[in-house]
Amino acid sequence: MSDVRDTLLDRTLSAMSEVLEDPWKLRDVAARTVALARGRIAFRDCERGRRVRAFGDVRVVADGRISLGDLVFFLGGMFPSELVCHRGGEIVIGEGSGFNYGVTIEAHGRIYIGKRCIFGTMVRVEDSTRDLSKPITLGDDVWVAHGAVIAPGVTIGAGSVVSAGSVVVTDVPPNRLAVGNPARAVPLDVKRAHAAREA
Amino acid sequence: MLDALLGKIWRRRLGKMATLGDGARIVGRIWVRGEGRIHIGARVVLDASVAPIELHPTYAHSEIVLGDDVVVGSGTSIEAVQSIRIGERTRIGRYCRLMDSHFHPTIGERDVHPQAVPLVVENDVDMGGRCILVAGAYVEHHVTICPSSVVTRRVRAGSTVRGVPAHVIDAGSGGPK
Repeated sequence: MSDVRDTLLDRTLSAMSEVLEDPWKLRDVAARTVALARGRIAFRDCERGRRVRAFGDVRVVADGRISLGDLVFFLGGMFPSELVCHRGGEIVIGEGSGFNYGVTIEAHGRIYIGKRCIFGTMVRVEDSTRDLSKPITLGDDVWVAHGAVIAPGVTIGAGSVVSAGSVVVTDVPPNRLAVGNPARAVPLDVKRAHAAREA
Repeated sequence: MLDALLGKIWRRRLGKMATLGDGARIVGRIWVRGEGRIHIGARVVLDASVAPIELHPTYAHSEIVLGDDVVVGSGTSIEAVQSIRIGERTRIGRYCRLMDSHFHPTIGERDVHPQAVPLVVENDVDMGGRCILVAGAYVEHHVTICPSSVVTRRVRAGSTVRGVPAHVIDAGSGGPK
């Protein structure tokens, strides 16, 4: 994460050289700059690290504590993302985590998301139902694919992957793949797992 | 009235990036991003009245082909890295997602795109709402996919599938030939 520490001048110079190399890159550079500004506005009530960016609409309700690490970003798309932290709740998102559009994170209690996590589109992470509230913890480098739902009280180990459309109701150990509704944990190396079963 | 006008505007925008068949009808907003090719067949209905529809042929060599008489529901996202082909008279429900790449590998460097697998949906398929079709899905003709299913592999003609991941609940008779 060396680019976290470099200065504004360094970043400006590198952006300029990028644009000089390929003028079409100006669009990307402009988008990144706008995203930085949008991040500042959207997450104004949150504790933010450096260079938190919002490339699209994000609805933020920060009645509790929301903490976003360095380089966290939210992409834009067809649906806005939602980051809702109710009174007394806490949402902590580790540095370098990225969210695609339509992600909903809603906390009455505590939701902890580790570093460098990848969230696909339309993922729902809510730590409360009508009559229970349990903290959710996602380790570092977790990848949650499109349309997955994480139920209250679930802990997902570092490096695990939640496949598209899964509903995770039980804990997932580190470096496993959670598939299905309800999700079960299988080895990450799907091909090798299939080969082992057929042999 | 306003819808019809908006439809016309979006149709014109889409027309610049896609080939539109005769009588294709567009209601609401279509998001088109990417550098690839989009072909929309005759009498296709893109019903984005409730939520936008996304058509993303990501790279210059990517292609999205919607056959004649296809109906696509609101909120559906079709994202092609290589190619996604939808057959004739296929109906796609609301909030579906079709993608021919996983975009991240499960093992190793997360930012490297894995190999895309062309995604094919043949003729007369009926797809419910909130379905997800990922790389490796090949849906043969006359298949019914129940709502909220996740299809990851080949589905034989005429069968009905359901679940996450989808399994066959009715093998059917292979469908009319």
